[in-house]
Amino acid sequence: MLYIICSQPFGQSPSCFAVFSLVLTDSAVIHALFSPQGMYVFLHAVKGTPFETPDQGKARLLTHWEQLDYGVQFTSSRKFFTISPIILYFLASFYTKYDTTHFILNTASLLSVLIPKMPQLHGVRIFGINKY
Amino acid sequence: MATAAEQWVLVEMVQALYEAPAYHLILEGILILWIIRLLFSKTYKLQERSDLTLKEKEELIEEWQPEPLVPPVSKDHPALNYNIVSGPPSHNIVVNGKECINFASFNFLGLLDNPRLKAAALASLKKYGVGTCGPRGFYGTFDVHLDLEDRLAKFMKTEEAIIYSYGFATIASAIPAYSKRGDIVFVDKAACFAIQKGLQASRSDIKLFNHNDMDDLERLLKEQEIEDQKNPRKARVTRRFIIVEGLYMNTGTVCPLPELVKLKYKYKARIFLEESLSFGVLGEHGRGVTEHFGINIDDIDLISANMENSLASIGGFCCGRSFVIDHQRLSGQGYCFSASLPPLLAAAAIEALNIMEENPGIFAVLKEKCKRIHKALQGIPGLKVVGESISPALHLQLEETTGCRERDVKLLQEIVNQCMDRGIALTQARYLEKEEKYLPPPSIRVVVTVEQTEEELEKAASTISEVAQTVLL
Repeated sequence: MLYIICSQPFGQSPSCFAVFSLVLTDSAVIHALFSPQGMYVFLHAVKGTPFETPDQGKARLLTHWEQLDYGVQFTSSRKFFTISPIILYFLASFYTKYDTTHFILNTASLLSVLIPKMPQLHGVRIFGINKY
Repeated sequence: MATAAEQWVLVEMVQALYEAPAYHLILEGILILWIIRLLFSKTYKLQERSDLTLKEKEELIEEWQPEPLVPPVSKDHPALNYNIVSGPPSHNIVVNGKECINFASFNFLGLLDNPRLKAAALASLKKYGVGTCGPRGFYGTFDVHLDLEDRLAKFMKTEEAIIYSYGFATIASAIPAYSKRGDIVFVDKAACFAIQKGLQASRSDIKLFNHNDMDDLERLLKEQEIEDQKNPRKARVTRRFIIVEGLYMNTGTVCPLPELVKLKYKYKARIFLEESLSFGVLGEHGRGVTEHFGINIDDIDLISANMENSLASIGGFCCGRSFVIDHQRLSGQGYCFSASLPPLLAAAAIEALNIMEENPGIFAVLKEKCKRIHKALQGIPGLKVVGESISPALHLQLEETTGCRERDVKLLQEIVNQCMDRGIALTQARYLEKEEKYLPPPSIRVVVTVEQTEEELEKAASTISEVAQTVLL
């Protein structure tokens, strides 16, 4: 289980969502990649593709989430990516015993990952951030 | 593991669950409902909104009349009555059984019938066979290809060169490899059809400027600069290109390259130079329009040319800096997805380069002949010469058009036919009339080669003059 792996170096009660360690151990890196923060960066912040595509640059300004399945909403991949942070959130709040600080941080992370996945926000760039 | 287990005794956890704050549990309930809604949502595409009902769709389908697959075409369409050439289209060409002097093929350096080229091609044929049966990535790269690329890069004094197997596909693949959606391309209105197709494939924003009009181009560049200042973040992401030809096929004029290079550095755009007609023609050693104007080759970002004119081979090449050309090895559609150039043609091209390097005097001879025929063709009543004096391919257009393009084409065809009867083989410049963006007026294209003697040039000029007088007056 993720919380056991990550709690060993930290020795504190885990929050699968908020990692406060400044030391980048391997488990911390893996944790960051699979955490909502990592998910936000890779799915909703980074645009375009790391390789050349034959679409003549159609996806250059689209995030990975918007490129998934060519823009079709509610496909199985999208449902999986939406549901998995929610499940992690349930687990995290269970194992932190519903503590208030952890609650605020975890809910903020969850919302930052859930809201960009809504179809109404497809292609929306708030305040022009990340537009080009 | 034991110490960790001490911290999370299951009983304590479940106890904490019972004591959980209400807002948290409500939130979790909302999330569970969200999950259930998600699991049951249907997939849908975002822009699919068909405003037509089924009945309307059926009506539209019923009233559609298919166009014929082959549209009706008149019997004397030029594509249906072609002239048949027996033997090689070299200096003396046998068209429809008549022997004529060739003023139509782009054989500028006369290398088409050269025995050294033929010997090199035959040797290569015996060694490698005829074709390559594969693109460059799938066992289609032979040492002759790498040799030819090397030689071309050395000849043009650039870092690297890349070979395409079809001249039209060279520039049409090179442009979409670099310019994508959202990029801006400034093109001359007289650009050839291959460039137009490359631009269409690139899906970029095209801005056309008047032929060889640097003020018009500067106006467009200034407008773009103003747009860029309004939205600097977008401007940082868009690439700008200027695409010109060294010697334009449609008008026979040379592009003003020094001004273009100045504009390039002023407005931060990249220049793609298409040198199909000027490679092996302009410049002291035949290196093209950059040598003609004395411009540093590194100022031009990409030079593209086809080997079907001066080099008397097939195919095309692009040359430039290494990091520019290397990109085309994976992104050039014509490079990756077409079979590579047959090795016999590559060997012929290498031999042609050898000949060009051995006697650089032929370029001066060609220039002389171009000037001579340009002068000799002036003053023909009814026809005007379009093209510069150094251009080996000039156009003869009607001074006054009859108003209808078909009638103009018929008149010019009459001139061409009569010239052919008298032993001068000419051709009209042909275009896909419905597909060209700026269709040039119909014209006769006169091509000068090194092999034509001065008497033949004089004879051609006088023949055209006589025929024009009989036909047009």
